[in-house]
Amino acid sequence: MPTLLFLFLAPLISALLLLILPFSGRPLKILALLLSLIPLGTLLIHHTDILGAQINYPWLPQLSIHFHLSVDNLSLVFLYLTAILIPISILAASSEHVSYPNVFYGLILLLEAFLIGFFTAADLALFTIFWESMLLPLYFIISLWGGEHRRAAALKFLVYMLAGSALMVAAVLFLYATANTFDIQTLIQHAASSPYAPWLAAIFVLAFAVKTPLFPFHAWLPDAYCQASTTGTILLAGLLSKAGIYGILRIGLELFPQYIQAWSPLLLGLAIAGVFYGALAAWMENDFKRLIAYSSFSHVNFILAGLFVWSQESHSGAIVQAFNHGITITALFLAAGWLATRIGSTSFKRGSGIAQYMPQLCWLTLFFVLSSVALPGTNNFIGELFILFGLFGKNPWLAGVLGLSIIFSVVYMLRWMQKMYFEEPHLIEAHGSDIGLKELLIAAPLVALILLVGIYPDSILKYSEPASEFIAHANGESA
Amino acid sequence: MNTSLNSTDLAALSPLFILLAGGLIVLLMESFAELWARRYSFGITIATFILAIFAVIKAPVSQNPLLTMWLNYDSFYQFFTLFFLLIGIASAFLSAAFFKKNEATHGEYYFLLISAVTGLILIAAAADFLTLFLGIETLSISLYILCGYMKRWQLARESAIKYFLLGSLGAAFLLYGIALIYGGVGSTSFSTLLNSYHALQSSQDKMLFLSGIAFVTVGLAFKAAIVPFHVWAPDVYDAAPTPVTAFMSVGTKIGAFVAFARVFLIALPQFDPLWNEGISLLAYPTLIYANFVALRQTHLRRFFAYSGISHAGFLLIPLAVGSASVLPAFIFYLVVYACATFGAFAVLAFVDKGSEGVRLHDLKGLFYRSPWLAGILTLCLLTLAGFPPTAGFLAKFYIFKAAFQAQYYGLVIVGLLTTVLAAYYYLRIVSAMFAEESEEEGVVARSYYAAVIGACAVAAILVLSIYPTPLMEYLASWS
Repeated sequence: MPTLLFLFLAPLISALLLLILPFSGRPLKILALLLSLIPLGTLLIHHTDILGAQINYPWLPQLSIHFHLSVDNLSLVFLYLTAILIPISILAASSEHVSYPNVFYGLILLLEAFLIGFFTAADLALFTIFWESMLLPLYFIISLWGGEHRRAAALKFLVYMLAGSALMVAAVLFLYATANTFDIQTLIQHAASSPYAPWLAAIFVLAFAVKTPLFPFHAWLPDAYCQASTTGTILLAGLLSKAGIYGILRIGLELFPQYIQAWSPLLLGLAIAGVFYGALAAWMENDFKRLIAYSSFSHVNFILAGLFVWSQESHSGAIVQAFNHGITITALFLAAGWLATRIGSTSFKRGSGIAQYMPQLCWLTLFFVLSSVALPGTNNFIGELFILFGLFGKNPWLAGVLGLSIIFSVVYMLRWMQKMYFEEPHLIEAHGSDIGLKELLIAAPLVALILLVGIYPDSILKYSEPASEFIAHANGESA
Repeated sequence: MNTSLNSTDLAALSPLFILLAGGLIVLLMESFAELWARRYSFGITIATFILAIFAVIKAPVSQNPLLTMWLNYDSFYQFFTLFFLLIGIASAFLSAAFFKKNEATHGEYYFLLISAVTGLILIAAAADFLTLFLGIETLSISLYILCGYMKRWQLARESAIKYFLLGSLGAAFLLYGIALIYGGVGSTSFSTLLNSYHALQSSQDKMLFLSGIAFVTVGLAFKAAIVPFHVWAPDVYDAAPTPVTAFMSVGTKIGAFVAFARVFLIALPQFDPLWNEGISLLAYPTLIYANFVALRQTHLRRFFAYSGISHAGFLLIPLAVGSASVLPAFIFYLVVYACATFGAFAVLAFVDKGSEGVRLHDLKGLFYRSPWLAGILTLCLLTLAGFPPTAGFLAKFYIFKAAFQAQYYGLVIVGLLTTVLAAYYYLRIVSAMFAEESEEEGVVARSYYAAVIGACAVAAILVLSIYPTPLMEYLASWS
């Protein structure tokens, strides 16, 4: 079996196995974890050998839809992110709090399969199918295992997503009409020839903007992020937002570069507004889960700003930053989730000076916070530096303004640390003690990745740079 | 002319003979041996349908002009006869589940079901307007009785009368239209219709013919419940026994559309752009109205009436395109719709409360009472909503692609926008199933009959979602 097909089918079959097999409790979680590690293992074994891998089966000839997957540098970065975050999101779930664990783990692996399909789809119709499919497992994960208002939040999330991408099928069909194929590589040459090209570009950008979300399409975000369980939030913030970013890279920048470029002032303006809106909202929050949700929103808009700046450096930086944000936000939500289960709430008022009681959790959280605020030596520093560098080349003033947002993020993040972990020691109630070896082991790969990218950025730049070059190249041809 | 039927001709007619014989046996048994009827009528009905299926597969094609004048023996007939027999089997199973809970006589019921299926088969086989009318009336008259079958139910009689009055009005339109067409072209046979229409010289004859077509369209639109001819549907669906509602939402709906396809896609493909224009003008209000009204429904039988109307709106899209090349897309949609609707009704059979039917809050917490049932219903509803990766999405995509190639952009866009509404109202039901608070301890009855249908529907949906190519190829090969 071709490696790529295996990569896609392994989580899909695992998902079905988990639904059917009569395991429960701890063995089930271990089984789910092992199954979710298969894609990561496959990626690590083949590593760069998988670049350029293709599978192409005529799946639905009557609809001209091919089951066509291919891997390039861009896909590889996102594949790694998926393969790393899924096992961590499984580990983030506490097995005693998950009812119907078979369904829960099955859905996570199903999501993994859809994401792998999405990040490698080379057929536009297939891309659309995976794009919409990934909403379903997420909808159920939020709807079944979350906070008090989870079902309303899940429905709102789903309807927003669908409304955002409602017309995508029409846009896909319009593109099909230009070249009589759904093959993305072929469409790159023909997309601009469609008489409705600006409309199509707008439809795609809207769909991606809602999912990422770009300011002001984020109304679904606070509820969904906060009502979801830690696992759900990790999947939403770490992976779903990356699907939007990948969409903008894959479809927006490759198929419609001239329009993205033409709309760059508007889109960049929205993204920068989003960065500051998110930062200010986070600053005002007295609930740390919402605070991290808004900080995620702010950082994601930072990445989008990088995409909408028309320079190769900032594109490369945005790709790196997409990876970094996935890692860091997962780490933050993980740490926040551990804190929440220990103090029984996500409110600031439930305790302060927690460093006294839980020193290890405190230092771990502090490390993740510092990574999030882009301390030099951590991963986010590299990505944001590239984005700002690219922006500086275009518009130094704007780069200065965007640079300010990093200060904002320091302010709101450290405010959280200050209020909850330091200050006068005082706790209203505590369930359990400090994190132990198990939690540290879960966090270890994240810490390692944060430091690896921070200290040796070439480890990821060698994939993001060819990817951004490819975009520049594609634009050079079609522009 | 040869006026005698030889054995081949009789064999070609054998499916109809078998249904006739089976129906009579069931009816006689009810009259003379009520106890037997109670025990065996279900089994005899199923055996009749299965025998008929064999007969359809094995039966030779008759060339006798005595038969071919009235009946077509093409692949369309063969496919739909099998399809309708399967619908009959599914309805019989659901009815058996219903009669486990509700006391009523059985014999007439199954006789009427067999007659209704016979009517459907005549529609599919029709080679002449008279056969078509015969089929539609056989179907309708059986259904008028079936709707009021539970004589003690408060609303049953009212709705049966309503259905009967409006249905006869529809039949009158149809018959009047046929008369006008005959007046215009001097024949009611489908095979000569297109040529004789094009041969028409005088504008008077043309006028006659076209007004005849308009009347036929209105008559069929009544049966298919297309806005603004839909008013009977919600009340009738709501007051009928649940298995009859299931049969109406699948059998009658598909029967009416098969009649449309027989006349307007096969006999008169694109005979006049005016007709296609008219159908697309019906499609807009049908799509928009049904989807908006469905948002507020809380009674599931009524809900399925509106959901059925909205699907009728989708089915009007390929009719508006009007060429024989859309037939595969059209039929594929019908198949997917039938599987998903039967699957959903199979689950409803478990929670059905007789005359009250199923209300939205009866489904509350179904997931916790019975995860399997909730899973089946969820899959079926998602298929009806057209969510990828279910077959529902492929079916819609197929139709949109056909409409797109015929440049009905407006219909595609309205269709896509209404899918957002559809997603909301189908997911509202899903969301209710996952709600924890169940207001009353709804006991889920055990019903093997309904379980069989549910399992078959799920299997069919899964196969059609993953690899529908064989079916699509088969459909494309003869249409």
